Amino acid sequence: MSDRTAGIRAIAGKWLQEGTVEAVLGWEQGTYRDKTAPVLVRKAEEVDRLVFNERCTNNLMTYLKRDPVRSLSTVGIVAKGCDIKALIGLIQESQVPREKVKILAVTCPGVRNADGKRPVKCAACDVNTPVFYDEIVGEKIASNPDRAARFRDVEALEAMTPEERHRFWREQFDKCIRCYACRQACPLCICSRCIAEKNQPQWIETSAHPRGNFAWNLIRAYHLAGRCIECEACETACPADIPLMLLNRYMAKVVEQSFGYEAGRDPQAQPPLRTFKLDDDNSFIL
Amino acid sequence: MPYLKMDSADLPKVARKLAASGARLVLPVREGDERFYREGADPDSLDLTTIPKNSIKEFLFPKTERILRYQYRGKDVTVEDVAPTAAGRTVIFGARPCDAASLPVVEPLWNWDYKDEFFNARRAATVIVTYACRTAPDEACFCVSVGLGPSSDQGSDVLLFPLDETVVAVRFVTAAGRELESAFAEFGKGEVAEEALEAFRKTGEASLAHRKKFDRVQGWLEAHFEDRLWEEKAFRCIGCGTCTFLCPTCHCFDIQDESCFDAGYRLKNWDACQFSLFTLHTSGHNPRDTQPKRYRQRIYHKYAIYPQKFGKILCTGCGRCVAHCPVNLSLYDVVATAQERAERGD
Repeated sequence: MSDRTAGIRAIAGKWLQEGTVEAVLGWEQGTYRDKTAPVLVRKAEEVDRLVFNERCTNNLMTYLKRDPVRSLSTVGIVAKGCDIKALIGLIQESQVPREKVKILAVTCPGVRNADGKRPVKCAACDVNTPVFYDEIVGEKIASNPDRAARFRDVEALEAMTPEERHRFWREQFDKCIRCYACRQACPLCICSRCIAEKNQPQWIETSAHPRGNFAWNLIRAYHLAGRCIECEACETACPADIPLMLLNRYMAKVVEQSFGYEAGRDPQAQPPLRTFKLDDDNSFIL
Repeated sequence: MPYLKMDSADLPKVARKLAASGARLVLPVREGDERFYREGADPDSLDLTTIPKNSIKEFLFPKTERILRYQYRGKDVTVEDVAPTAAGRTVIFGARPCDAASLPVVEPLWNWDYKDEFFNARRAATVIVTYACRTAPDEACFCVSVGLGPSSDQGSDVLLFPLDETVVAVRFVTAAGRELESAFAEFGKGEVAEEALEAFRKTGEASLAHRKKFDRVQGWLEAHFEDRLWEEKAFRCIGCGTCTFLCPTCHCFDIQDESCFDAGYRLKNWDACQFSLFTLHTSGHNPRDTQPKRYRQRIYHKYAIYPQKFGKILCTGCGRCVAHCPVNLSLYDVVATAQERAERGD
């Protein structure tokens, strides 16, 4: 058992014993290959189910928006630095009261996807040792972020002509089967009724034809502009292997250039797309 | 009956001949680290190394399909049928046995109270050339649990047995399959006796990591609609449609009207019992108002309701819902738990 796993179990056990939280949300060993699976531990006797390893890829913050976690009054959540960015977004947007969540942060050397590769977010990570938490476990890890890694694929996209880009996305979106795994896995897709589910009248065509798929994938990306914290949960979940992070990172780049803002950093900050300032750049209008 | 023997290296050439005969060719190809069944791919890109991520369902029951056209003129509306899309003769080359077996499972559904001419037209025009599994292509596979197997011929017109890395035995199963015999004939390198296939079948079945027989699941489910199992297992379900949309047997659809001004089409789109809107009533009431209830529905439909109605389990053990669930909620684990509890009388 790793030190991190032991540390998580000790703190989760203490919180449950003392009644600090009603339950602890974390990862347990999964049943398929080396996957892990989200688990909600309600009793101190069950903390031995919790594990931490480099396959702990799911961003558990997505459970804050749905039952049974939503209806708990207090919950402990085991979280990596990247996961905590999502919680910061949720706190900024008044979706989750800070006092409801006890953050059991874990230092993270990076995770691996099912294919064994390190995600881009890990190459660019500057929160291997989280900075926003209630308790932390694991040896401190100094970050050595390759910040340019975030936008490397975006630059290839920008180098394309508009026609090439359209063809690229047409091919990618043709693969979309409208399962909404991207939305469901996303910790920041928070609408209790998504625009794709507004059917009186139907706002977004639910058909998986090119028009419907463009509408869905673009509106999903737009709704995350300046909000996406680049956890890659959508892309990891996508059963059609659509490079959703390319869109999300393109949005992040535009927001950074326009407003000097990066999502998921400071719970006190005002996200640019929900504030108005007289000196905002409005050159795009004229 | 002896089987035709050929080199596996010649399989793309057979696929090319079939495409040249004018058939719409569907075959598994590599994309990134995964395999997908794709229409119109180059036969040389045929990749049979593992089970594709999508199923063959979309070539018989597309993810979206027009079923009628309407036109308003003042207060009148005219409605025209859309002919079942003429996808034309289709050969699915290199389907896995669990995909082929999905066809006889869902055919009764599409021909029950209404004969779905769209599915039936495609089914009648489709020939399935199946690539049997020498060993289980993935640890998620559990075809043996539902009474099938890595050599099952259910739904197949032609069955290919990869005896080793280089040699394939070919069996023409149905009359539609025998019509393809000429495309294979020129690559024949002799015959393989039927007995040789017995060892192939045994090796295949023994290679599965999941082999518990699901023979007591239906009875257990019928008595455990209210059970702690559902909340315990399905709390983590995030309510996406990955399991249902990758499933070769899930067949639920939604009807949508899409119009531009005064004319439009009615469409039949894939739908999923895991979506919150699936059973939402106009009144606002939802009989399946929580995710565990929706997850339970999926298991019941497959292992109790469908068997009651059509005498078949609505699952071929392909394992896609096990392998690709974003939160590792394994259908095999849930159903195996039901079977185990039935066995110990719990």
